Amino acid sequence: MTAILIADDDPDIRDLVAFKLEQAGYDVRAVDNGLAALSAARENPPDLAVLDVMMPGMSGVDVCRELYANPATATLPVILLTARAQEGDVEVGFGAGAVDYVIKPFSPRELVRRVEAVLARTRA
Amino acid sequence: MVGIATGALLVLTAVTVVLAAVIIFGRAARRIGDARRARLAAPARRALLALAAGDDEQANFTTLARLEPGVWRAVEPTAVALLGKVRGEARAVLVSVFEERGSGERALRQTRRAGAVRRARAAEVLGNLRRRDAVPTLVALLADPDPDVRAVTARALGRIADPTAVPALLASLVGPRPVPPQAVADAVLRIGADGRDALVGALDHPAELVRVTAVEVLGLVGAITAAGRVIEVLSGDASPAVRARAAVTLGRLGTRQSLGPLLTAVEPTQPPALRAAAARALGDLGAVAAAPALGTLLADPDHDVAHAAAYALLRMGDAGRAALARAAHAAPAGSDPPVETATARAGAYAREALAVAELEARRRVGAAAAAAVR
Repeated sequence: MTAILIADDDPDIRDLVAFKLEQAGYDVRAVDNGLAALSAARENPPDLAVLDVMMPGMSGVDVCRELYANPATATLPVILLTARAQEGDVEVGFGAGAVDYVIKPFSPRELVRRVEAVLARTRA
Repeated sequence: MVGIATGALLVLTAVTVVLAAVIIFGRAARRIGDARRARLAAPARRALLALAAGDDEQANFTTLARLEPGVWRAVEPTAVALLGKVRGEARAVLVSVFEERGSGERALRQTRRAGAVRRARAAEVLGNLRRRDAVPTLVALLADPDPDVRAVTARALGRIADPTAVPALLASLVGPRPVPPQAVADAVLRIGADGRDALVGALDHPAELVRVTAVEVLGLVGAITAAGRVIEVLSGDASPAVRARAAVTLGRLGTRQSLGPLLTAVEPTQPPALRAAAARALGDLGAVAAAPALGTLLADPDHDVAHAAAYALLRMGDAGRAALARAAHAAPAGSDPPVETATARAGAYAREALAVAELEARRRVGAAAAAAVR
Protein backbone atom coordinates (compact mmCIF):
# COMPACT_ATOMS: atom_id res chain seq x y z
CA MET A 1 0.00 0.00 0.00
CA THR A 2 1.27 3.48 -0.81
CA ALA A 3 2.44 5.22 2.35
CA ILE A 4 1.88 8.92 2.94
CA LEU A 5 3.28 11.00 5.77
CA ILE A 6 1.30 14.02 6.95
CA ALA A 7 2.68 16.70 9.24
CA ASP A 8 0.45 19.51 10.47
CA ASP A 9 0.19 21.08 13.90
CA ASP A 10 -3.50 21.84 13.30
CA PRO A 11 -5.43 18.74 14.46
CA ASP A 12 -8.46 19.59 12.29
CA ILE A 13 -6.40 19.78 9.11
CA ARG A 14 -4.32 16.78 10.09
CA ASP A 15 -7.36 14.62 10.76
CA LEU A 16 -9.19 15.83 7.67
CA VAL A 17 -6.26 15.15 5.34
CA ALA A 18 -5.63 11.79 6.97
CA PHE A 19 -9.30 10.84 6.69
CA LYS A 20 -9.49 11.85 3.04
CA LEU A 21 -6.28 10.04 2.07
CA GLU A 22 -7.29 6.92 4.01
CA GLN A 23 -10.62 6.93 2.21
CA ALA A 24 -8.65 7.11 -1.03
CA GLY A 25 -6.82 3.92 -0.05
CA TYR A 26 -3.50 5.22 1.24
CA ASP A 27 -1.61 4.09 4.31
CA VAL A 28 -1.37 7.31 6.31
CA ARG A 29 0.92 8.29 9.15
CA ALA A 30 0.20 11.66 10.74
CA VAL A 31 2.44 13.69 13.05
CA ASP A 32 2.00 17.12 14.58
CA ASN A 33 5.41 18.77 14.11
CA GLY A 34 8.34 19.08 11.74
CA LEU A 35 10.86 17.23 13.83
CA ALA A 36 8.56 14.22 14.18
CA ALA A 37 7.99 14.31 10.42
CA LEU A 38 11.72 14.26 9.76
CA SER A 39 12.24 11.34 12.17
CA ALA A 40 9.32 9.40 10.68
CA ALA A 41 10.55 9.97 7.12
CA ARG A 42 14.07 8.88 8.00
CA GLU A 43 13.03 5.80 9.98
CA ASN A 44 10.60 4.53 7.41
CA PRO A 45 10.54 6.63 4.22
CA PRO A 46 6.99 7.03 2.86
CA ASP A 47 6.11 7.30 -0.82
CA LEU A 48 5.07 10.92 -0.40
CA ALA A 49 4.89 13.57 2.32
CA VAL A 50 2.31 16.33 2.82
CA LEU A 51 3.85 18.97 5.06
CA ASP A 52 2.33 22.08 6.59
CA VAL A 53 4.68 25.04 6.15
CA MET A 54 3.98 26.85 9.42
CA MET A 55 4.74 24.46 12.26
CA PRO A 56 6.36 25.31 15.59
CA GLY A 57 10.06 24.55 15.79
CA MET A 58 10.81 23.12 12.40
CA SER A 59 8.75 24.38 9.45
CA GLY A 60 7.65 22.24 6.51
CA VAL A 61 10.19 24.07 4.35
CA ASP A 62 12.96 23.20 6.83
CA VAL A 63 11.88 19.55 6.80
CA CYS A 64 11.80 19.61 3.02
CA ARG A 65 15.37 20.96 2.86
CA GLU A 66 16.60 18.34 5.34
CA LEU A 67 14.94 15.51 3.43
CA TYR A 68 16.37 16.84 0.24
CA ALA A 69 19.91 17.08 1.63
CA ASN A 70 19.94 13.47 2.81
CA PRO A 71 20.57 10.88 0.04
CA ALA A 72 18.25 8.36 1.74
CA THR A 73 15.27 10.73 1.48
CA ALA A 74 16.35 13.04 -1.39
CA THR A 75 13.91 11.45 -3.81
CA LEU A 76 10.90 11.65 -1.50
CA PRO A 77 8.26 13.86 -3.16
CA VAL A 78 6.93 16.57 -0.85
CA ILE A 79 3.71 18.55 -1.19
CA LEU A 80 3.61 21.68 0.94
CA LEU A 81 0.28 22.69 2.43
CA THR A 82 0.15 26.28 3.56
CA ALA A 83 -1.80 29.46 4.09
CA ARG A 84 1.15 31.50 2.76
CA ALA A 85 0.07 32.28 -0.76
CA GLN A 86 2.37 35.08 -1.85
CA GLU A 87 4.55 34.51 -4.92
CA GLY A 88 7.72 34.69 -2.83
CA ASP A 89 6.44 32.05 -0.38
CA VAL A 90 5.66 29.66 -3.22
CA GLU A 91 9.12 30.25 -4.67
CA VAL A 92 10.72 29.43 -1.32
CA GLY A 93 8.71 26.21 -1.18
CA PHE A 94 9.74 25.05 -4.61
CA GLY A 95 13.29 26.24 -3.92
CA ALA A 96 13.39 23.92 -0.92
CA GLY A 97 12.59 20.98 -3.18
CA ALA A 98 8.81 20.65 -2.91
CA VAL A 99 7.11 19.19 -5.99
CA ASP A 100 3.73 20.82 -5.38
CA TYR A 101 2.20 23.56 -3.27
CA VAL A 102 -1.39 23.49 -2.02
CA ILE A 103 -2.74 26.71 -0.55
CA LYS A 104 -5.17 26.84 2.38
CA PRO A 105 -8.11 27.03 2.38
CA PHE A 106 -7.91 23.92 0.27
CA SER A 107 -10.25 21.42 -1.29
CA PRO A 108 -9.71 17.94 0.19
CA ARG A 109 -10.78 16.43 -3.10
CA GLU A 110 -8.25 18.52 -5.02
CA LEU A 111 -5.53 17.54 -2.56
CA VAL A 112 -6.14 13.87 -3.29
CA ARG A 113 -5.93 14.60 -7.04
CA ARG A 114 -2.62 16.39 -6.50
CA VAL A 115 -1.30 13.46 -4.47
CA GLU A 116 -2.32 11.06 -7.21
CA ALA A 117 -0.71 13.23 -9.88
CA VAL A 118 2.57 13.53 -8.00
CA LEU A 119 2.68 9.78 -7.34
CA ALA A 120 1.93 9.08 -11.01
CA ARG A 121 4.75 11.40 -12.09
CA THR A 122 7.13 9.85 -9.61
CA ARG A 123 6.41 6.34 -10.81
CA ALA A 124 6.46 7.20 -14.51
CA MET B 1 3.82 41.87 68.70
CA VAL B 2 4.75 38.22 68.19
CA GLY B 3 1.06 37.35 68.28
CA ILE B 4 0.26 39.82 65.50
CA ALA B 5 3.10 38.45 63.34
CA THR B 6 1.96 34.88 63.93
CA GLY B 7 -1.60 35.83 63.07
CA ALA B 8 -0.54 37.56 59.87
CA LEU B 9 1.54 34.55 58.90
CA LEU B 10 -1.41 32.25 59.51
CA VAL B 11 -3.70 34.46 57.42
CA LEU B 12 -1.12 34.59 54.63
CA THR B 13 -0.73 30.81 54.72
CA ALA B 14 -4.49 30.34 54.64
CA VAL B 15 -4.84 32.72 51.67
CA THR B 16 -2.04 30.89 49.82
CA VAL B 17 -3.66 27.51 50.46
CA VAL B 18 -7.05 28.78 49.30
CA LEU B 19 -5.56 30.33 46.15
CA ALA B 20 -3.64 27.14 45.36
CA ALA B 21 -6.82 25.11 45.85
CA VAL B 22 -8.78 27.44 43.58
CA ILE B 23 -6.12 27.16 40.87
CA ILE B 24 -5.86 23.37 41.16
CA PHE B 25 -9.60 22.81 41.22
CA GLY B 26 -10.12 25.34 38.44
CA ARG B 27 -7.65 23.59 36.19
CA ALA B 28 -9.06 20.18 37.07
CA ALA B 29 -12.59 21.38 36.33
CA ARG B 30 -11.46 22.82 32.99
CA ARG B 31 -9.69 19.59 32.06
CA ILE B 32 -12.72 17.53 33.02
CA GLY B 33 -14.92 19.90 31.02
CA ASP B 34 -12.62 19.73 27.99
CA ALA B 35 -12.49 15.94 28.20
CA ARG B 36 -16.28 15.77 28.51
CA ARG B 37 -16.76 18.04 25.50
CA ALA B 38 -14.20 16.06 23.50
CA ARG B 39 -15.99 12.80 24.42
CA LEU B 40 -19.33 14.29 23.54
CA ALA B 41 -18.00 15.70 20.27
CA ALA B 42 -16.03 12.65 19.15
CA PRO B 43 -18.73 10.86 17.08
CA ALA B 44 -19.97 14.15 15.63
CA ARG B 45 -16.40 15.23 14.86
CA ARG B 46 -15.96 12.07 12.84
CA ALA B 47 -19.12 12.90 10.87
CA LEU B 48 -17.90 16.47 10.43
CA LEU B 49 -14.54 15.39 9.03
CA ALA B 50 -16.23 12.86 6.77
CA LEU B 51 -18.60 15.54 5.50
CA ALA B 52 -15.74 17.97 4.85
CA ALA B 53 -13.88 15.21 3.09
CA GLY B 54 -16.85 14.64 0.80
CA ASP B 55 -17.71 11.21 2.18
CA ASP B 56 -21.36 10.04 2.27
CA GLU B 57 -22.61 13.60 2.34
CA GLN B 58 -26.33 13.01 2.92
CA ALA B 59 -25.92 10.68 5.90
CA ASN B 60 -23.32 12.88 7.58
CA PHE B 61 -25.33 16.04 6.85
CA THR B 62 -28.38 14.51 8.50
CA THR B 63 -26.33 13.38 11.51
CA LEU B 64 -24.92 16.87 12.05
CA ALA B 65 -28.16 18.72 11.34
CA ARG B 66 -30.01 16.62 13.94
CA LEU B 67 -27.40 16.72 16.70
CA GLU B 68 -28.62 17.60 20.17
CA PRO B 69 -27.81 21.25 20.99
CA GLY B 70 -25.30 20.23 23.68
CA VAL B 71 -23.42 17.96 21.30
CA TRP B 72 -23.46 20.60 18.56
CA ARG B 73 -22.04 23.18 21.01
CA ALA B 74 -19.19 20.75 21.70
CA VAL B 75 -18.40 20.19 18.02
CA GLU B 76 -19.20 23.69 16.74
CA PRO B 77 -15.71 25.17 17.36
CA THR B 78 -14.22 22.49 15.12
CA ALA B 79 -16.89 23.09 12.49
CA VAL B 80 -16.29 26.87 12.53
CA ALA B 81 -12.55 26.34 12.25
CA LEU B 82 -12.95 23.89 9.37
CA LEU B 83 -15.05 26.41 7.46
CA GLY B 84 -12.04 28.68 7.24
CA LYS B 85 -9.67 25.91 6.23
CA VAL B 86 -11.42 24.20 3.33
CA ARG B 87 -12.95 25.42 0.09
CA GLY B 88 -14.96 24.05 -2.78
CA GLU B 89 -17.65 21.44 -2.18
CA ALA B 90 -16.29 20.67 1.28
CA ARG B 91 -16.95 24.24 2.38
CA ALA B 92 -20.34 24.46 0.68
CA VAL B 93 -21.66 21.38 2.44
CA LEU B 94 -20.39 22.60 5.80
CA VAL B 95 -22.12 25.94 5.27
CA SER B 96 -25.37 24.10 4.59
CA VAL B 97 -25.10 22.42 8.00
CA PHE B 98 -24.68 25.80 9.70
CA GLU B 99 -27.63 27.20 7.77
CA GLU B 100 -29.77 24.22 8.70
CA ARG B 101 -28.96 24.77 12.36
CA GLY B 102 -29.55 28.56 12.21
CA SER B 103 -25.99 29.31 13.33
CA GLY B 104 -25.69 32.47 11.21
CA GLU B 105 -28.77 34.12 12.72
CA ARG B 106 -27.63 33.15 16.20
CA ALA B 107 -24.18 34.62 15.53
CA LEU B 108 -25.73 37.90 14.34
CA ARG B 109 -27.60 38.17 17.63
CA GLN B 110 -24.50 37.29 19.65
CA THR B 111 -22.41 40.14 18.23
CA ARG B 112 -24.43 42.40 20.56
CA ARG B 113 -24.15 40.23 23.66
CA ALA B 114 -21.94 40.77 26.70
CA GLY B 115 -18.72 38.78 26.78
CA ALA B 116 -15.84 39.41 24.40
CA VAL B 117 -15.30 35.71 23.68
CA ARG B 118 -18.93 35.33 22.60
CA ARG B 119 -18.75 38.37 20.31
CA ALA B 120 -15.43 37.24 18.81
CA ARG B 121 -16.83 33.76 18.14
CA ALA B 122 -19.90 35.27 16.54
CA ALA B 123 -17.73 37.43 14.26
CA GLU B 124 -15.68 34.38 13.30
CA VAL B 125 -18.80 32.36 12.47
CA LEU B 126 -20.19 35.17 10.31
CA GLY B 127 -16.87 35.57 8.53
CA ASN B 128 -16.46 31.87 7.90
CA LEU B 129 -20.04 31.65 6.62
CA ARG B 130 -19.25 34.68 4.41
CA ARG B 131 -22.49 36.38 5.36
CA ARG B 132 -22.58 39.57 3.30
CA ASP B 133 -25.68 40.69 5.16
CA ALA B 134 -23.53 40.77 8.31
CA VAL B 135 -21.07 43.35 6.94
CA PRO B 136 -22.75 46.41 8.57
CA THR B 137 -22.87 44.57 11.90
CA LEU B 138 -19.22 43.58 11.61
CA VAL B 139 -18.14 47.08 10.56
CA ALA B 140 -19.71 48.36 13.78
CA LEU B 141 -17.88 45.62 15.69
CA LEU B 142 -14.53 46.99 14.42
CA ALA B 143 -14.92 49.57 17.20
CA ASP B 144 -15.56 46.94 19.89
CA PRO B 145 -14.00 47.77 23.28
CA ASP B 146 -12.10 44.46 23.21
CA PRO B 147 -8.96 44.43 20.97
CA ASP B 148 -9.27 40.70 20.21
CA VAL B 149 -12.86 41.14 19.03
CA ARG B 150 -11.69 43.93 16.72
CA ALA B 151 -8.90 41.79 15.23
CA VAL B 152 -11.22 38.78 14.74
CA THR B 153 -13.79 41.07 13.14
CA ALA B 154 -11.23 42.45 10.67
CA ARG B 155 -10.35 38.88 9.72
CA ALA B 156 -14.03 38.03 9.30
CA LEU B 157 -14.58 40.99 6.99
CA GLY B 158 -11.61 39.84 4.92
CA ARG B 159 -13.19 36.41 4.56
CA ILE B 160 -16.52 37.86 3.49
CA ALA B 161 -14.54 39.90 0.92
CA ASP B 162 -17.15 42.61 0.46
CA PRO B 163 -15.32 45.69 -0.96
CA THR B 164 -17.73 48.04 0.80
CA ALA B 165 -15.93 47.14 4.04
CA VAL B 166 -12.53 48.44 2.84
CA PRO B 167 -12.94 52.11 3.95
CA ALA B 168 -14.03 51.01 7.42
CA LEU B 169 -11.19 48.50 7.66
CA LEU B 170 -8.60 51.11 6.72
CA ALA B 171 -10.13 53.70 9.06
CA SER B 172 -9.95 51.17 11.88
CA LEU B 173 -6.15 51.42 11.79
CA VAL B 174 -6.31 54.71 13.67
CA GLY B 175 -8.39 56.15 16.46
CA PRO B 176 -8.94 55.32 20.10
CA ARG B 177 -9.66 51.62 19.39
CA PRO B 178 -7.30 50.66 16.59
CA VAL B 179 -7.10 47.29 14.82
CA PRO B 180 -3.56 45.87 14.32
CA PRO B 181 -2.14 46.83 10.88
CA GLN B 182 -1.35 43.20 10.02
CA ALA B 183 -4.98 42.16 10.58
CA VAL B 184 -6.27 45.04 8.46
CA ALA B 185 -3.74 44.50 5.66
CA ASP B 186 -4.54 40.77 5.55
CA ALA B 187 -8.27 41.48 5.41
CA VAL B 188 -8.01 44.10 2.67
CA LEU B 189 -5.65 41.85 0.74
CA ARG B 190 -8.22 39.04 0.86
CA ILE B 191 -10.83 41.40 -0.53
CA GLY B 192 -8.38 41.91 -3.39
CA ALA B 193 -8.72 43.97 -6.54
CA ASP B 194 -12.42 44.68 -5.88
CA GLY B 195 -11.28 47.03 -3.14
CA ARG B 196 -9.13 49.06 -5.52
CA ASP B 197 -11.21 52.24 -5.53
CA ALA B 198 -11.38 52.38 -1.76
CA LEU B 199 -7.63 51.78 -1.53
CA VAL B 200 -6.91 54.59 -3.99
CA GLY B 201 -9.24 56.86 -2.03
CA ALA B 202 -7.31 56.05 1.16
CA LEU B 203 -4.10 57.43 -0.37
CA ASP B 204 -5.45 60.88 0.59
CA HIS B 205 -6.21 59.88 4.19
CA PRO B 206 -4.65 62.19 6.78
CA ALA B 207 -3.12 59.28 8.75
CA GLU B 208 0.26 58.01 7.54
CA LEU B 209 -0.51 54.44 8.65
CA VAL B 210 -3.64 54.34 6.50
CA ARG B 211 -1.76 55.61 3.44
CA VAL B 212 1.14 53.17 3.99
CA THR B 213 -1.27 50.25 4.27
CA ALA B 214 -3.33 51.30 1.26
CA VAL B 215 -0.34 51.77 -1.02
CA GLU B 216 1.20 48.48 0.13
CA VAL B 217 -1.98 46.50 -0.54
CA LEU B 218 -2.39 48.10 -3.97
CA GLY B 219 0.91 46.49 -4.90
CA LEU B 220 0.03 43.15 -3.37
CA VAL B 221 -3.27 42.91 -5.23
CA GLY B 222 -1.58 43.91 -8.48
CA ALA B 223 -3.70 47.03 -9.05
CA ILE B 224 -1.92 48.05 -12.26
CA THR B 225 -4.56 50.64 -13.13
CA ALA B 226 -3.66 52.50 -9.93
CA ALA B 227 0.01 52.89 -10.94
CA GLY B 228 -0.46 56.53 -11.99
CA ARG B 229 -1.86 57.46 -8.58
CA VAL B 230 0.93 55.55 -6.81
CA ILE B 231 3.49 57.52 -8.85
CA GLU B 232 1.91 60.72 -7.53
CA VAL B 233 2.29 59.38 -4.01
CA LEU B 234 5.94 58.48 -4.69
CA SER B 235 6.78 62.02 -5.68
CA GLY B 236 4.37 64.05 -3.61
CA ASP B 237 3.40 62.42 -0.31
CA ALA B 238 4.46 64.30 2.82
CA SER B 239 5.68 61.13 4.53
CA PRO B 240 9.00 59.49 3.50
CA ALA B 241 7.64 56.14 4.78
CA VAL B 242 4.64 56.36 2.45
CA ARG B 243 6.85 57.36 -0.47
CA ALA B 244 9.22 54.43 0.20
CA ARG B 245 6.23 52.04 0.29
CA ALA B 246 4.98 53.56 -2.96
CA ALA B 247 8.34 52.72 -4.53
CA VAL B 248 7.99 49.08 -3.41
CA THR B 249 4.49 48.96 -4.86
CA LEU B 250 5.63 50.37 -8.20
CA GLY B 251 8.29 47.66 -8.37
CA ARG B 252 5.60 45.04 -7.75
CA LEU B 253 3.22 46.51 -10.30
CA GLY B 254 6.01 46.54 -12.88
CA THR B 255 4.56 49.15 -15.24
CA ARG B 256 6.78 50.94 -17.76
CA GLN B 257 5.64 54.38 -16.58
CA SER B 258 7.23 53.74 -13.16
CA LEU B 259 10.80 53.80 -14.50
CA GLY B 260 11.29 57.58 -14.66
CA PRO B 261 9.76 58.35 -11.24
CA LEU B 262 11.79 55.54 -9.61
CA LEU B 263 15.01 56.87 -11.17
CA THR B 264 14.16 60.28 -9.73
CA ALA B 265 13.56 58.65 -6.35
CA VAL B 266 17.11 57.23 -6.18
CA GLU B 267 18.74 60.63 -6.64
CA PRO B 268 21.01 61.78 -3.79
CA THR B 269 18.67 64.60 -2.77
CA GLN B 270 15.99 62.09 -1.72
CA PRO B 271 15.72 60.48 1.77
CA PRO B 272 18.04 57.41 2.09
CA ALA B 273 15.22 54.96 2.94
CA LEU B 274 13.31 56.06 -0.15
CA ARG B 275 16.42 55.75 -2.33
CA ALA B 276 17.07 52.18 -1.13
CA ALA B 277 13.42 51.19 -1.66
CA ALA B 278 13.43 52.74 -5.12
CA ALA B 279 16.66 50.92 -6.02
CA ARG B 280 15.09 47.61 -5.00
CA ALA B 281 11.98 48.49 -6.97
CA LEU B 282 14.09 49.15 -10.07
CA GLY B 283 15.42 45.62 -9.66
CA ASP B 284 11.85 44.28 -9.45
CA LEU B 285 10.98 46.30 -12.54
CA GLY B 286 13.87 44.67 -14.39
CA ALA B 287 14.25 47.61 -16.78
CA VAL B 288 17.67 47.45 -18.42
CA ALA B 289 17.56 51.23 -18.87
CA ALA B 290 18.03 51.55 -15.10
CA ALA B 291 21.35 49.66 -15.10
CA PRO B 292 23.63 52.73 -15.52
CA ALA B 293 21.93 54.58 -12.65
CA LEU B 294 22.09 51.53 -10.40
CA GLY B 295 25.75 51.02 -11.37
CA THR B 296 26.48 54.54 -10.14
CA LEU B 297 24.64 53.81 -6.87
CA LEU B 298 27.07 50.96 -6.11
CA ALA B 299 29.50 53.62 -4.90
CA ASP B 300 26.88 55.42 -2.83
CA PRO B 301 28.07 56.31 0.69
CA ASP B 302 24.81 54.96 2.14
CA HIS B 303 25.13 51.21 2.75
CA ASP B 304 21.44 50.40 2.21
CA VAL B 305 21.37 52.25 -1.09
CA ALA B 306 24.55 50.64 -2.45
CA HIS B 307 23.51 47.19 -1.24
CA ALA B 308 20.03 47.53 -2.74
CA ALA B 309 21.52 48.71 -6.04
CA ALA B 310 23.82 45.67 -6.22
CA TYR B 311 20.98 43.20 -5.69
CA ALA B 312 18.72 45.11 -8.07
CA LEU B 313 21.37 44.77 -10.77
CA LEU B 314 21.59 41.08 -10.02
CA ARG B 315 17.87 40.64 -10.68
CA MET B 316 18.09 42.59 -13.90
CA GLY B 317 19.63 39.78 -15.90
CA ASP B 318 22.60 40.05 -18.27
CA ALA B 319 22.80 43.84 -18.40
CA GLY B 320 22.79 44.05 -14.61
CA ARG B 321 25.39 41.35 -14.18
CA ALA B 322 27.61 43.02 -16.77
CA ALA B 323 27.41 46.26 -14.76
CA LEU B 324 28.33 44.34 -11.59
CA ALA B 325 31.22 42.61 -13.36
CA ARG B 326 32.56 45.94 -14.61
CA ALA B 327 32.42 47.41 -11.12
CA ALA B 328 34.11 44.36 -9.62
CA HIS B 329 36.80 44.38 -12.31
CA ALA B 330 37.53 48.08 -11.82
CA ALA B 331 38.36 47.48 -8.17
CA PRO B 332 39.87 44.02 -7.70
CA ALA B 333 39.66 42.55 -4.21
CA GLY B 334 42.57 42.50 -1.80
CA SER B 335 44.21 45.84 -2.61
CA ASP B 336 46.95 46.49 -0.07
CA PRO B 337 46.65 48.76 1.75
CA PRO B 338 42.80 48.80 1.53
CA VAL B 339 41.66 52.09 0.04
CA GLU B 340 38.17 53.48 0.70
CA THR B 341 37.43 55.03 -2.66
CA ALA B 342 34.19 55.18 -4.60
CA THR B 343 35.56 52.62 -7.05
CA ALA B 344 36.59 50.31 -4.20
CA ARG B 345 33.19 50.62 -2.54
CA ALA B 346 31.37 49.86 -5.76
CA GLY B 347 33.65 46.89 -6.38
CA ALA B 348 33.02 45.46 -2.93
CA TYR B 349 29.21 45.61 -3.29
CA ALA B 350 29.43 44.18 -6.81
CA ARG B 351 31.62 41.26 -5.69
CA GLU B 352 29.30 40.46 -2.81
CA ALA B 353 26.26 40.33 -5.10
CA LEU B 354 28.08 38.23 -7.69
CA ALA B 355 29.29 35.81 -5.00
CA VAL B 356 25.73 35.36 -3.71
CA ALA B 357 24.56 34.75 -7.27
CA GLU B 358 27.24 32.13 -7.73
CA LEU B 359 26.17 30.32 -4.56
CA GLU B 360 22.54 30.41 -5.64
CA ALA B 361 23.45 29.05 -9.08
CA ARG B 362 25.34 26.14 -7.50
CA ARG B 363 22.39 25.42 -5.21
CA ARG B 364 20.05 25.38 -8.20
CA VAL B 365 22.33 23.00 -10.09
CA GLY B 366 22.20 20.68 -7.09
CA ALA B 367 18.43 21.01 -6.88
CA ALA B 368 18.01 20.28 -10.60
CA ALA B 369 20.21 17.18 -10.29
CA ALA B 370 18.13 15.88 -7.39
CA ALA B 371 14.91 16.65 -9.27
CA ALA B 372 16.21 14.66 -12.23
CA VAL B 373 16.77 11.67 -9.91
CA ARG B 374 13.13 11.99 -8.79
